[in-house]
Amino acid sequence: MSAVPGVKQSADGQSAKVNRRDTVIQLRSKLMSGRHVSFLSFLVMFAIWVVATTPLLGAPMVSPVFLPSPQSVVMTFLKLAQEGYQGKSLLYHYGASMFRFFSSFIGCVLLGVPIGLMMGMFRIVRAALDPPIEFTRPIPKLALLPLFVVWFGIGEFSKIFMISFTLFPIISISAMEAVKSVSLRKIQAAKSLGASDATIFWRILLPGSLPGIFTGLRVSVGLGVSMLVGAEMVATSSGVAFMALSASDFLQTNIVLVGVTILAVTGYLLDLLVRVIEKVVVHWSGRE
Amino acid sequence: MSLVAFDLSGPSRLENMELVVDGASKVFGAGESAVTALTPISLAIGAGEFLSIVGPSGCGKSTLLNLIAGFETPSSGEIRLDGKTVTRPGAERGVVFQQGSLFPWMTVLDNVSFGPISRGVPKAEAREKAMQFIDLVHLSAFASRYPYELSGGMQQRVGIARALANEPRMLLMDEPFASLDQQTREILQFEIKRIWQRTKTTIFWITHSIDEALFLSTHVAVMSARPGRIKKAFASEFFASDDPMVGSTQAFTEAKREVTMVLHEESMKSSKQEEQR
Repeated sequence: MSAVPGVKQSADGQSAKVNRRDTVIQLRSKLMSGRHVSFLSFLVMFAIWVVATTPLLGAPMVSPVFLPSPQSVVMTFLKLAQEGYQGKSLLYHYGASMFRFFSSFIGCVLLGVPIGLMMGMFRIVRAALDPPIEFTRPIPKLALLPLFVVWFGIGEFSKIFMISFTLFPIISISAMEAVKSVSLRKIQAAKSLGASDATIFWRILLPGSLPGIFTGLRVSVGLGVSMLVGAEMVATSSGVAFMALSASDFLQTNIVLVGVTILAVTGYLLDLLVRVIEKVVVHWSGRE
Repeated sequence: MSLVAFDLSGPSRLENMELVVDGASKVFGAGESAVTALTPISLAIGAGEFLSIVGPSGCGKSTLLNLIAGFETPSSGEIRLDGKTVTRPGAERGVVFQQGSLFPWMTVLDNVSFGPISRGVPKAEAREKAMQFIDLVHLSAFASRYPYELSGGMQQRVGIARALANEPRMLLMDEPFASLDQQTREILQFEIKRIWQRTKTTIFWITHSIDEALFLSTHVAVMSARPGRIKKAFASEFFASDDPMVGSTQAFTEAKREVTMVLHEESMKSSKQEEQR
């Protein structure tokens, strides 16, 4: 039973349960007010943006080259959506970025989760794979991009590889930790019920690891989207991040902000999607 | 109604009984840091018997259960079930833990049918069997719920039903009611007694409560402070009483006093050990 701060754990289970339910309700109401505060903070930021960029008395406080007004960003977005950027439609750029992100993300899940689980279950696999993963993890991946271009050419693969280089360790290590955290008691219970090793894997270890795996997925969704900026920095003429980066060369700040906003909204929506799936798939998580 | 001293490891018992712990010991670690959890222990449990083990905390009660369950192997000696040496966990020894051993991603029905399905019983049949045992612990209305939707007492009933669904030769129970409140505990004590009388399953029961041990079991063994061994064992008759108030009879009080005296001495030793550490 997890200790909830501020709640005295009582020795008898029943009232501890009631206490915990109370705390959950309290926490939930706190979250509600937390959500209001978040919304307020968003409004304040937006208001500052509007005030700083609107020509109230003569020129706006901040020049549009540094920070364009919200209206002009929206106008630019609509214009880009109609006319495209550098001869390609906005949807094409978005598709190119999403293709890179999803190829990398799906590839890393398909490869990283099984490898991570194996590392968690077999000491020998962990001994073999832990050093390369731990060694490459702290390397700034951007620094390696030129190298990847030399190795894999200027095509899609070097970009997908660079994003994967960031996501793979997160996904595999979270899967490894997740499977290690499945309680011995549940495994023992399954064994004494006559379960084979295969049954223990499919019905105990794998479902027991899902909460931890989902945590890794959420972290890597956010990181993967932000890694697009790195991946589309060189040797490409497509992608939302490319659009933002090349527009900044020409001081087209409007377009930069459109690109950044598209990436931010995408990252947020993907995170939300993973969270919704998580809630359905690992409904028991945190409720034991 | 009485309590009498009893030798759990007499030669004829060691030869004939269903479960035999034959000089089994357990040492953790090696060399300087080795800790002897159990000195060689011998005891025998006959089919249909209900043996309760009481002992000071840290005395190796759970280690003994882990050896019998096959979760750990003895450092010396052996455990035999029906004459066959125990080397690994098996479905003929059902285990009920204190808490946290239910599978939270499975419904009650899936938890209880897990054993039969794992042993290759066809799904429909396994579910039918599971429902019988869910019925036995009065949880039919909750078969499609998840464990986290149930109270602590109900979760323990699921744990008992899950172990029983394999129709094991014996049940090993490690303080199954320790985390429950007194009322739930008493209700479940009556239930386990009823289930035991009905299924005639042999039960190996670990508890902190002398009342519980006397109320439920045919035999009570008191373990010593670490390194654990059987300090004294008794045959008890209170389990056979129909009187729900048997606990307040004079004979029961005297029996409790007798077991308490043995246990108290060991608890004192045990707490001295704790202080020295």
